Amino acid sequence: MIELHEVSKTFGNGVPIVALADVDLRVDAGEFVVVLGPSGSGKTTLLNMIGALDNPSTGSISVGGVDISEASRRELFDFRRATVSFIFQSFNIFPGLTAAENVQFGADAADREDVDPAEVLDSVGLGDRVDQFPHELSGGEQQRVAIARALATGNPVILADEPTGELDFTTGVQILQLLQQQAADGKAVLVVTHNREISRIADRVVELSSGRIVSDGPPAEGKARLEDLHW
Amino acid sequence: MMKDWFLLLRWSWRDLRKYWVKVVAIALVIGIGTGAYAGMTSMTNWRRDSNNASVALLNMYDMRFELAGDSFVPRGDLESAVASIPSSGSVVAAEERLVRSIQVDASTDDATILVPGLIVGRDLAAGGPTINTWHVEAGTGLAAADAGQPLVMLEYSFLMHNDLPSSGEVVVSGGQVLTYTGGATTPEFFMVVPENTTSFAQGTYAGVFASLETAQGLAGLEDVVNDLVVTITDDADRGVITDEIEDAISALGVGVDVTLKEDDPSYRVLFEDVENDAENMTVFAVLIFGGAVLGAFNLITRLSEAQRREIGIAMALGVKPLRIALRPLLVGAQIALLGVVFGVGVGVLIGNMMRDLMISFIPLPIWETDFQWSLFFWVAVIGFVVPFLAAAYPVWRAVRVKPIEAIRTGHLAARGGGLAPLLKRIPLPGNTFAQLPLRNLLRAPRRAVLTTLGIAAVMAVLVGFLGSIDSFVGAINRGGDAIKGDSPDRLVVSLETVLPVDAPGVAAIDNADSVGRTQPILQLGMRAAGDQDLNLLVEILDLDNDLWQPGVVAGTIEDSGTGIILAEAAAEDLGVDVGESLLLTHPRRTGPTTFGFAQSDVTVVAIHNNPLRFAAYMDDAALDLANAVGLANVVYAEPAPGSTPEDVQRELFSLDAVGSVVTASASADDLDELIGQFVGVLQGIAFFVLLLAVLMAFNSASIGFEERQREHATMFAYGVRVRKALRMAIVENTIIGIVATAMGLVAGVGMIWWVVNVSAAETMPDIGLVVEMSPTTLVTVIVLGVAAVAFAPVFTVRRMRRMDLPGTLRVME
Repeated sequence: MIELHEVSKTFGNGVPIVALADVDLRVDAGEFVVVLGPSGSGKTTLLNMIGALDNPSTGSISVGGVDISEASRRELFDFRRATVSFIFQSFNIFPGLTAAENVQFGADAADREDVDPAEVLDSVGLGDRVDQFPHELSGGEQQRVAIARALATGNPVILADEPTGELDFTTGVQILQLLQQQAADGKAVLVVTHNREISRIADRVVELSSGRIVSDGPPAEGKARLEDLHW
Repeated sequence: MMKDWFLLLRWSWRDLRKYWVKVVAIALVIGIGTGAYAGMTSMTNWRRDSNNASVALLNMYDMRFELAGDSFVPRGDLESAVASIPSSGSVVAAEERLVRSIQVDASTDDATILVPGLIVGRDLAAGGPTINTWHVEAGTGLAAADAGQPLVMLEYSFLMHNDLPSSGEVVVSGGQVLTYTGGATTPEFFMVVPENTTSFAQGTYAGVFASLETAQGLAGLEDVVNDLVVTITDDADRGVITDEIEDAISALGVGVDVTLKEDDPSYRVLFEDVENDAENMTVFAVLIFGGAVLGAFNLITRLSEAQRREIGIAMALGVKPLRIALRPLLVGAQIALLGVVFGVGVGVLIGNMMRDLMISFIPLPIWETDFQWSLFFWVAVIGFVVPFLAAAYPVWRAVRVKPIEAIRTGHLAARGGGLAPLLKRIPLPGNTFAQLPLRNLLRAPRRAVLTTLGIAAVMAVLVGFLGSIDSFVGAINRGGDAIKGDSPDRLVVSLETVLPVDAPGVAAIDNADSVGRTQPILQLGMRAAGDQDLNLLVEILDLDNDLWQPGVVAGTIEDSGTGIILAEAAAEDLGVDVGESLLLTHPRRTGPTTFGFAQSDVTVVAIHNNPLRFAAYMDDAALDLANAVGLANVVYAEPAPGSTPEDVQRELFSLDAVGSVVTASASADDLDELIGQFVGVLQGIAFFVLLLAVLMAFNSASIGFEERQREHATMFAYGVRVRKALRMAIVENTIIGIVATAMGLVAGVGMIWWVVNVSAAETMPDIGLVVEMSPTTLVTVIVLGVAAVAFAPVFTVRRMRRMDLPGTLRVME
């Protein structure tokens, strides 16, 4: 589903800052992958490259069979609309739209007409919060609306940037459960976090340091259950 | 402490550089608002000062006595009459004049200039005239030695409007060639208002200033006068002196019309015009200023709110609220300072436009157009204070909350949905992209309302400006149409004196080669009594004639007998309707060339379609009332087939009996020209008004873009194209544009109503104005108002395209 070949990203004009260096990565459909690393390790840059929010300095990226490293601006818009869905740390749901309407936005953005927002919200446990505006929802509920919005696109890749960073432990676990469920349903789910505890439930953990992959494999102590997490 | 100040100054300077486009745009909004107010209202002070100084310089009369109809008395009789009154000691000076209508041919190689005019003969002996003196603006004046010579001066604005040299030759009625030595002004011609009209006829009505002897020679009247101007001491009882002089002149066996200085058409229009314009300008200027204030307040508030989190951090660090407030206030001060600078620039620009128009329009000998320091100072103070208050308000709000609330990010900082929940139960058409614009507006109702009100205020001014012009133009057009009727090329031939309709002079007109059908008329000034007394210019003619009849909107002109046909405005002001009667004071012939006054009850038989209030008509059956059966002083003449109105003017010009020949629509044409001059200036101001609306819309769109940057970034992350996001912003602004334009239209129509029914009704009562708005104005306002506001977000498209998506998406607040 996702293939990166020798991807590098350099910022700055004077003294260049290497955010990513020669990254090779492959993520298949149905995989729940956690990208782990401290601040400045390049994990968000990696996510932005895969989501076509930014382009690599060198190397190639192919997602869903589309080579996005050489794509035009227009093709990148089309790619984002049809292939990836973002979940952000700060949710970024639209305050002027209700929960259902935020979900409907996801469907509208992907040109999908067969989506019932109430049904999608129900699937993330918000069946009774359909008509609430964001300011009427808790943080966990807002993040679940964001996930529902991502789901409504029907896109095969979900990219989550610190999805539990704003949330308390219990709510965070609920969110992770939802993301795990998406992988189980066949989507490729890539979660970026600095929280090592979250990596314990991943199928694979990709660890970055100074822009390089320093390890890639299943959790060192084996895959844990959600109930075993704590932070 | 000093270091703190430098830091704050540096920091606010960086803020300024960061937002420099918006800062300049907001400062321009303030500048246009304050500048328009100062520039437009400066004119009022200039004109008052200039009018008073000019009238004093040329020693305008306190009262004027005109002999009725074509009456004359021997030279010296009028001055003797004044000397005989009991209060003669209070009379400072009295001067006799001969004032006659005249036809002037001032044609040049490039243009045919055949116009009616007025020759004013004055005694040049002993340095005269001393009352209503002449101020030579071009060429040279007349001296006592010029008395009786074919030497005259022309009224200066007539020279200017027709691009005539400062000296030259003109031909007057009867074919006499006169040399004009220069151009001069005098108070009766500061505003050129031909008798019994409301025209401002600088270019189409010639004032000819001559010695008394020259005027008498031209009129073929030896040693007679028909006019007297008088000045009295400041402490004299004007009413008593007026009555005494009127009685003394009446004792000579002639009727007399008295005009006090304040009632002189030129003086009245000159001063009332200032107050009228001041009222209008103030209303327009206050609205522009108010709109700009609303806009600036809204925009600066939004800019300052963007610093909410930084204020919270400062509070958390224990910085005193006053010091926290300094940085945003410094930004406000910088905007205010720039706004004041722009305001002075815009004010000077608008002031210069108004001054140039006024100077070209009114040839006052003194124009006092000093820079209005005091006015500009106070406007600048307001222009400075408003941005301060605008910046202080959000800071005041921010420092009142707990620091944690200001710092807080993410969902805990989520704000309420404004009025968006109102739409929760209302199904809106379309997908979320179609719904978001309206939702966004309702989400921030205060912001949306302030933006809308600001734009609505300036649109109201635009509608008010353009609609007022439409109403004036509409009245002129209706007047022109009414006068032209079925005989659009008709000319009005004024006779030198009242003549029998079968006199050779009248027959000569009828027999002229270029003249087709003719219709003799007796035109008399009358006074009608009613709810208010009105002066009327009554044309007595055969209403069964086949050349021209007045158009009627109520009643009938058939078998009208001695009935009168009034303008709608006249009937309204007199408080009479068709079928009712009124008391008419009218001239009645007392001798071959002398008229006195009599009173008769006449019935209002019809209402005509001419908006000019003073215009009235009677059938020739009413000539009995004036003891003037078979007499005429005007002839309507239609060009013969193959002839033009100009041919008629040229041919009749040489006839002795003819005083002037003008097209029937001349007064409407004069007004049309006048409006044309004003339209240019009003369009200039309208440009600033529109620029203001565009700037406010641009600022609003620009700040709105920054406020919603993360929403846009999210959309782009979901593959929504820039053009779709732009479309949503345009739709949102279109809603504001439509609502603001609709509100502006309603308020603007209210302003037009006020101008027409209150302001103009007071100062231009002789024009029956109605509220009108041309389709062009309506379309212009709607298109400009909606389009200018709607497409303002286009200016943000570059920033949308260049948005740093990853950076924006990760920003917490």
